[in-house]
Amino acid sequence: MSDQKPMAVDGDLYVEIQRFLFREAALLDRRQYDAWLVLMTEDIRYCVTAAVSRDAGANAVEYSIIDENLVGLKSRIDQISNPRLTRAENPRSMTRRVVSNIEAYHSTEPSEFSATSYLLAYRSRPSILEGGFYVAEREDLLRKAGSDWRLARRCVRLDNLMLFDGALSTLL
Amino acid sequence: MAARNSAPEGNDWVDVRRGLVSRDVFVSDEIFRLEMERIFDRTWVFLAHATEIPAAGDFVCRNLGSAPVIVVRDSDGAVHVLLNSCRHRGAKVCRPDSGNVRNFVCPFHGWTYERSGRLMTTTFDRHFPKDFDFSEHGLIRVPRIEVHKGLIFGSWNANVIPLSEYLGEIAWYIDPFLSRSPQGMEVLAPPHRWRAKSNWKVGALNFVGDSQHILTTHVGPLTLDPVRAARAGFATAAENSFQVVTDQGHGCTLTYLAPGLPEEAYQTHPHELEPLYKEVLQADQRQLLNRLRVIVGTIFPNLSFIETQVGPAQKAVIVRQWRPISGTEMEILSWVLAEKEASTDYKATVLRNGFHNFGAAGVFEQDDLELWASATYASNNAIAKQFPYSFHTALPYIDAPEKDHKWPGRAFKPADTEVAQLEFMRHWDRCMNSAA
Repeated sequence: MSDQKPMAVDGDLYVEIQRFLFREAALLDRRQYDAWLVLMTEDIRYCVTAAVSRDAGANAVEYSIIDENLVGLKSRIDQISNPRLTRAENPRSMTRRVVSNIEAYHSTEPSEFSATSYLLAYRSRPSILEGGFYVAEREDLLRKAGSDWRLARRCVRLDNLMLFDGALSTLL
Repeated sequence: MAARNSAPEGNDWVDVRRGLVSRDVFVSDEIFRLEMERIFDRTWVFLAHATEIPAAGDFVCRNLGSAPVIVVRDSDGAVHVLLNSCRHRGAKVCRPDSGNVRNFVCPFHGWTYERSGRLMTTTFDRHFPKDFDFSEHGLIRVPRIEVHKGLIFGSWNANVIPLSEYLGEIAWYIDPFLSRSPQGMEVLAPPHRWRAKSNWKVGALNFVGDSQHILTTHVGPLTLDPVRAARAGFATAAENSFQVVTDQGHGCTLTYLAPGLPEEAYQTHPHELEPLYKEVLQADQRQLLNRLRVIVGTIFPNLSFIETQVGPAQKAVIVRQWRPISGTEMEILSWVLAEKEASTDYKATVLRNGFHNFGAAGVFEQDDLELWASATYASNNAIAKQFPYSFHTALPYIDAPEKDHKWPGRAFKPADTEVAQLEFMRHWDRCMNSAA
């Protein structure tokens, strides 16, 4: 690791990254999964972790609840996007992903950028009536090829110490 | 003070003869409170896996019935289970989920306890009456703790029967999944934890033997890779498969691969670990594992387990607890286990593939919980409660266990009936109607 602090991305490049993250969230909210999958690199690694409540002085402990490559992601999407193959997402959940607090940095690779963002994702189900929030920080690795951006790695760190209303069936 | 709950005279919650169970049993908060008294404060309840607290001072915070408890390992290796509430004014003396402690210092006024629960100091010892007996004011200790193959159980009932007797014949079936190598199994990560708007027994029944939900609830993952690829022969397996019922309400369902598959399909367990099984398991128990596709079962009241195929010669063992919160809500805790001797790579694969299927974002779990919540919601009204749940497919089989079953317990064929579920409810009913 270099001692230098990573250099923040600003200007037009920052706006491009912001636009990519907003668009990607909107595709998930609109359930345009095929268009969303196109934004993943072939070597995507998509992870969601939850935290264990620990003493403030003790080391943090988190555990994975999702850890997928492209094949696993496609399989999850094949399940939740096909009305015959899902109970959790048929009838459809209502979801809204609010993405904010974006910070982006250059990396040692000229075409790769890291981005952290805050995510507030609301989900409600017809069978449960009241909805709830997933709240998370996300660490992404983005790749730029010309004007195209792709997501190469995402780690979603949930702040929820207890997930509400059953198992997570949506992507964050 | 509120009167103790009592079961209504001649309640008809469970009618085994007619295969009916009242919907109240799955939604009522009054029945939930009575369950705490008559089941969870009386019997053995699972608390933690020994490998979650390997070192002196390691602890996890759990619940025994409705009471929060600390499960802590002492410097001599002993495990103590303590009510997590200060003897002074009740604050939790230990508030994280897990960690390591030298002793427990109450953050409210400073009463300090050893890991054994013994009261060391109140910090105002000089103001106490001369006859105050410190030894009488330690943290309340759970009177009975026993460990079976790494599973730590506790009971608030000092007179509960020994754990080995309580588990009885079901131990023969669960041991090949909890301890089948010289070093035994270990948990691979902290438990997944999530809440579900459903009664705890819905989970317990689902695991004790509900083969009928698999092809409808789980049509998604069964149709898609990677599960589809790993389940060749599943649909034609029923003739070799059976349910087991033992005393105390325990039960399990074993699903075997059908004959006639390519030989490699029968390699269900890892090649490199099988020689270790020979060192620990009886020949009959190894035969139990041979060609086994899935075992799923429940230890009464609320501990379940499943071993399922997650890849060629890869099995994930999942231990699962359904913690009651009310008549209509539970918390689920779920651990993934593997043999301690297994390679780091194998453990990582089993962990990842295990929680891909069963866990806080499991592809099986998400559809189960949606339907359990919908059943809970739709049953929790006066009109629906006039119409009990149906367990009718148990009836033609429940009095006809397999006559030539050579292993422990009573076996029932075929596997896709509701015998084990109705037997679970029969035992539940017995507990709930027993005043003593």
